[in-house]
Amino acid sequence: MAEEVRIGVYICHCGFNIAGTVDVKAVAEYAKTLPNVVVSRDYLFMCSEPGQDLIREDIKKYKLNRIVVAACSPSMHEPTFRSVLESAGLNKYLFEMANIREHCSWVHSDKELATEKAKDLVRMAVAKARLLEPLEEKEIETSRNILVVGGGVAGMRAALELAHYGFEVYLIEKSPTLGGKAALVGYVEDDVKGSEIVGKMIKLISKNPRIHVFTNSELVEFKGFPGNFIAKIRVNPRYVNEKCTLCGDCIPACPVEVSNEYEFGLDKRKAIFYPYKGAYPPYYVIDSKVCTFCGECVKTCKHNAIDLEMKPQYLDLRIGALIIAAGYDPYEPPKGEYNYGIHNNVITLFQLERLLDPNGPTKGNLIIGGKVPRRIVFIQCVGSRNTTPNSKPYCSRMCCLTAIRNAIRIKEMYPDTDVIILYKDIMTYASDERLYEEAGKRLVKFLKFEEPPKVTITEEGLYIDVYEYTIQDEVRIPTDLVVLSTGMVPRHDLNELIAVTRVSCGGDGFLRELHLKLAPVESPTKGVYLAGAVTGPKNIMESIRMGSAAAVKAMTLLSAGKVSIEPLTAVVNEEICSGCGVCVSVCPYEAISIKEMDGDRLAHVEEALCMGCGTCTAACPSGAMQQRGFKDTQIKAQVLAVFGGG
Amino acid sequence: MSNEDFKPKIVVFACNWCTYAAVDLAGTSRMQYPANVRVIRVMCSGRVDPQFVLEAFHNGADGVIVAGCHPPTDCHYISGNIKALRRYTLFKRLLKSLGIEEERFRLEWISASEASKWVKVVNEMVETVKKLGPLKPKLEVVE
Repeated sequence: MAEEVRIGVYICHCGFNIAGTVDVKAVAEYAKTLPNVVVSRDYLFMCSEPGQDLIREDIKKYKLNRIVVAACSPSMHEPTFRSVLESAGLNKYLFEMANIREHCSWVHSDKELATEKAKDLVRMAVAKARLLEPLEEKEIETSRNILVVGGGVAGMRAALELAHYGFEVYLIEKSPTLGGKAALVGYVEDDVKGSEIVGKMIKLISKNPRIHVFTNSELVEFKGFPGNFIAKIRVNPRYVNEKCTLCGDCIPACPVEVSNEYEFGLDKRKAIFYPYKGAYPPYYVIDSKVCTFCGECVKTCKHNAIDLEMKPQYLDLRIGALIIAAGYDPYEPPKGEYNYGIHNNVITLFQLERLLDPNGPTKGNLIIGGKVPRRIVFIQCVGSRNTTPNSKPYCSRMCCLTAIRNAIRIKEMYPDTDVIILYKDIMTYASDERLYEEAGKRLVKFLKFEEPPKVTITEEGLYIDVYEYTIQDEVRIPTDLVVLSTGMVPRHDLNELIAVTRVSCGGDGFLRELHLKLAPVESPTKGVYLAGAVTGPKNIMESIRMGSAAAVKAMTLLSAGKVSIEPLTAVVNEEICSGCGVCVSVCPYEAISIKEMDGDRLAHVEEALCMGCGTCTAACPSGAMQQRGFKDTQIKAQVLAVFGGG
Repeated sequence: MSNEDFKPKIVVFACNWCTYAAVDLAGTSRMQYPANVRVIRVMCSGRVDPQFVLEAFHNGADGVIVAGCHPPTDCHYISGNIKALRRYTLFKRLLKSLGIEEERFRLEWISASEASKWVKVVNEMVETVKKLGPLKPKLEVVE
């Protein structure tokens, strides 16, 4: 290389995130001692505009031709700094990042050791930077199909946005119907029920030719790269076809009866069933987990709609992006928590919502054990905020408001019923605070607890003991009904989806956004976006907004019709290549072939097919095959630099 | 050198898609682990040439970890991890014949969500290597 290598090194404080554990000044000083380093600085936030300007100015002032930034993970800000290089007229691949935050300051507490490690990481980055070469990006055409996993409000909203802008959408849903939990519970502003919104969305989706709905379906395989993923979908048999008229003749014939999950266990359903009024697609379905395949339903069906021979079908879809909107599970208290599951008059918030629903098992009448309860006590934070041993640490966001909204409804319907809400803290944010006030006006009583209340069963009924925090005294409340304000937890089967899509999950078990503020609907995998309560507790409106946002992000990726691919492709040194063909045998993409050239056998890389894994480079016995950006010399320099050399 | 003073250095070759992301996740989750590891990012575990591992041992690594996506199907590049698995199964035998204890080398599959597995692997490796002592003096004797 003729040109003199001039490296600029920038050590980021990331506020206190790095500087709190790593002596950033010492690292910057140390970097100055490394060969080819012309300038080395530390700065509060390298990713900020002034931080970026610092690099731009130095590139001009010091004629820098390699940049090293020691800051966060490259998955976070590598694109940011690469564009800084570009704007300063440098090839953006002359950049190397040392990850001294995720890999150092955040995981070590000993300042001396962390500083020593940060110096090592900077030295390794400088060693690689010294050998970096300018690279040109290549472009690949992208698919305009988008897969949305999850047919709840977030997924349906995303699907509608995408279809509106001309993308083909595959909307898959694991259960037999679109709608998700919002079809069963929840309200948005002005007392509009979740089910109304779901109904409207389903109507739009059913008429939209660009949205292809597959219920009873799961994503079983997912591979490829942004813009060109391959997704394998398993469509599980419904055993009922579109000839079904919802007549219901099959119901009496079915001998299998199980708890109805669409009423949260309040009543029973048969093995052949229609989830609820308005479910889509509007056909019955057979629950193969409980069905004995006795065939009684087939005999009663006048429309030949039931086919017990149906088999799972598999679809291979080429898609450009994936939106995961798989939703949540309601927290199910373990049997005995607040006597739930032992006494019938202890129910969850989800069950209460069903009892108050005109389409619910009691047609909207709050009848418990044959009569209207004279007193109802809500216990808040069940399953949330570390209230009980099984609780999650987080606040589930929607339970305070839902409890208060239902308390007001109950007061409207049954003015003589006494409603008491036992709470830890009331979280009614933004305009919902009005409802809290309204509940007070309607004489809903609020009692504050710190230690969880105790629910006791006697022969006369239930009573609750609670130490009321404001009056600092024990209170005993006899009651007819206890409503446990249960929160939201990660789906029980989320791990299966994580295994297939390789997205990451956070500490609370929900899927994790790439960055809560900077990339709130992006997953760490480019081309995979997240929406709704799959990332943590959300109310209906928040889920819908997130569905729209995720759709926009997916469209942004695909709207150009092509994506730039990092040019980390393999390249053959024809001087050395002996044409042995080891590379051909290890390439997962069949991108390499052996060609005869002037009587010589030489490996040839088809660059459009090469995805840049570097497996051929590792396998090449002579070093003729190299991976751009990860050459043998570059990686070896990093290895040597670990020990001070390189 | 007493065991107390021995600060082993462990070189890690981590694939960009699974293990590097898991190490990042351990960071964002503020998990704590020993500061002995130095991670080198490669795109795929299939890229890790055994030369690099030997180079690391030769220059003073007390342990080396090659880590990637779970076989058989997690690999971002279809089957790079399988190539790594084959390669390092053989390589381990070679290490033994070079007089390097097998325990100093680990091939690990750590997915992007397995930050806790990463921490476990690091802890185990540091402990193992501390028990074995430094490698460098032994190599110098050989030379």
